[in-house]
Amino acid sequence: MNDDRVEILLVEDNPHDAEMTIRALKKSNLANRLIHVKDGAEALDFIFSRGVFSERSTDNKPKVILLDIKMPKVDGIEVLRQIKSNENTKTIPVVIMTSSKEEQDIITSYNLGVNSYVVKPVDFEGFAKAVSELGFYWLITNQYTD
Amino acid sequence: MSNNFSLNRLSIQQRLTLLICTLLLSAIVIYGFANYYSLKKASLTIASDRIGLLTTQISTMFGQSAQAVTKLEYATATQNSVVQCVKSGGKDFRKEALAELDKLHTDSTWVSIELLDQNLVPVLRSDKALVNVNVDTKAVLAFTHVGPDSSKVGKIYKVGDSMYYPVIATVVDKGRTIGYVMCWQMLRVAPKAVAQFTQLIGTGTRLYIANTDGSLWTNLIKPVAAPFKINSMGEPIEYTGPDGLMIAKVQPVPNTGWLTAIAFSEQNILEGVNSFMKWILIFGLLLTAIGIFAAWAMSRNITRPLSQLTRAAKAVSQGNYSSPKFIDVNRNDELGELAIAFNIMTAEVHHTWQNLDNKVKERTLQLERVNKELEAFSYSVSHDLRTPLRAVSGYSIMLKEDYEDKLDAEGKRIIGNIISNARMMGKLIDDLLAFSRLGKKELTSTKVDMQLLAISVVNELLQENLEKDYKINIGILPPIEADPGMVKQVLMNLLSNAIKYSSKKAEPEIEIGSEDEETRTIYYVKDNGVGFDMAYAGKLFGVFQRLHSQEEFEGTGVGLALVKRIIDKHNGEVWADGKENIGAAFYFSLPKKTIV
Repeated sequence: MNDDRVEILLVEDNPHDAEMTIRALKKSNLANRLIHVKDGAEALDFIFSRGVFSERSTDNKPKVILLDIKMPKVDGIEVLRQIKSNENTKTIPVVIMTSSKEEQDIITSYNLGVNSYVVKPVDFEGFAKAVSELGFYWLITNQYTD
Repeated sequence: MSNNFSLNRLSIQQRLTLLICTLLLSAIVIYGFANYYSLKKASLTIASDRIGLLTTQISTMFGQSAQAVTKLEYATATQNSVVQCVKSGGKDFRKEALAELDKLHTDSTWVSIELLDQNLVPVLRSDKALVNVNVDTKAVLAFTHVGPDSSKVGKIYKVGDSMYYPVIATVVDKGRTIGYVMCWQMLRVAPKAVAQFTQLIGTGTRLYIANTDGSLWTNLIKPVAAPFKINSMGEPIEYTGPDGLMIAKVQPVPNTGWLTAIAFSEQNILEGVNSFMKWILIFGLLLTAIGIFAAWAMSRNITRPLSQLTRAAKAVSQGNYSSPKFIDVNRNDELGELAIAFNIMTAEVHHTWQNLDNKVKERTLQLERVNKELEAFSYSVSHDLRTPLRAVSGYSIMLKEDYEDKLDAEGKRIIGNIISNARMMGKLIDDLLAFSRLGKKELTSTKVDMQLLAISVVNELLQENLEKDYKINIGILPPIEADPGMVKQVLMNLLSNAIKYSSKKAEPEIEIGSEDEETRTIYYVKDNGVGFDMAYAGKLFGVFQRLHSQEEFEGTGVGLALVKRIIDKHNGEVWADGKENIGAAFYFSLPKKTIV
């Protein structure tokens, strides 16, 4: 196991949501190897080692990607599409975390091969609970095979 | 009506044709038969008159020749030599008397000429006529009564194949009959002459001469059997002969014991009438055929525009307003007017439809636009409102968690209020979204086992409300066709309300039941909770409408609005009954056949 290995890639444009997510994960000791990017374009650069992340090895795949849908530049659905249509990256678990309960978003995500879809609860307690449960599941229960 | 044939089933075209055909046929039949009978009667009358005239003429003719013969013989009988010869018993004037008798032999039909005394003993006999007519002279004289100074022709007698008749004249001396001149004449007419004669009076006509006592009948060629019985003279007699029905007339021949009869066959007389009838029939059939054709053409002339109209009206009635069908009926009668009126109506309908269609399209566009705006709004609420709210909630909790020890009691109270209000607002947003999303949702309809559903909802709710012992009674709930998810939501909302509002009672009781009606099933949820004032019953089902404060009972005021919206979508009804501090009852009905 490489120490540099990123465990969680958090793609979230809203700094408050990001802060709360990180806080919830930290509480459960799951935020040690977390990278936070602020939009879809940055996320794609990271995943495919482009732009500012061109130095990064593509073999260093995150264990799970937490992906928001509504983001500037490239939205979460597009990021999901690119991850799941690439042979190298399609095995990375992707969890959509969004405020939207829109059925169309849910259906599109599952059609593209999302591993989980979570609607962020409005209240913080619920939100924190959901985030830490997700972290446990994808990082500990569901062993990532390389 | 069990009758299979009914005039009502025929089209107008068929009915008109039938009517005209019937009228024509009956006119022809009535005209034909009336004419036939009057013609027949006239023909028979004319024929009857004609034979009456003929019989009279022929009897007169025969009578005149008989008179001539009797006159001649009377002249002989009054000759002195003849009288003296009879008187002397044939001794005196024999030669002179014989010469007188010989004079009577004018032709060969005179077969016997004799002079008899009063005892009917022959006194003298002409040598020129030598046939011995073997008839009893006594009987002849008994029948043909010849008085003194007279002469008569007797009846016809048949001897062998020949027929003879006597001509008798009395020989008188001093007013006393002393003897008779007795002649026999042969009745002989050539068959050719008879044929010519009958031809003359009419084909199929028969001429008879007969004795008045009916003892002999002849057709002037040979004796024949009596064709009919004589009842009266001069009147027509009908009888059936070998040629069918015959009509005859009889007249006595003057100066003789004879009569003449002429008979004609009715068939011959009626031949003309029958041929007239035949032509009437042919003509009638021809006329009927023409009539049928004319009637058919005429009714077609009427019904064709009618069926055109019907087709066009059908097109309109089936909802084809977009491309109106105008009828081209170029005529000035009532049908033409109808067609014009119809065309105007069609144009009007088309125009109205177009207006309506345009309006509907316009409104639909507007509605679609509004709907899109609403969708955008609900998305914005679901996403954009939730995010800052989550931040408010999140940072308040972080504040509380991280700085609780630095806050005094008032600060803690305030932070607590922020957190609980943020939670409440989150709930409101979620409920509101659920409510608006329901409007977009399509109904699915399956058979829902209400009994099972109620039990599962009650169990689910009791899990969340363990702090109190609720007595919940589930009655018989018949299954119904509905959207299972939505009906579950209804039961969930009503039952959670019942639990909520009866939670402050010492012994909360809830009853779920149903009432069966013909077209719908009514389900209800009753509780013995705080109830409500019926004055506010109308407000119960409105969005965000609440009858209790947040302190009393928590809630967003969306639950019952959601219930009403779901039941409305199912074409059902919702209503409530309640009394303050006694309890509330909520009813909803679902149609037995849900129209989805």
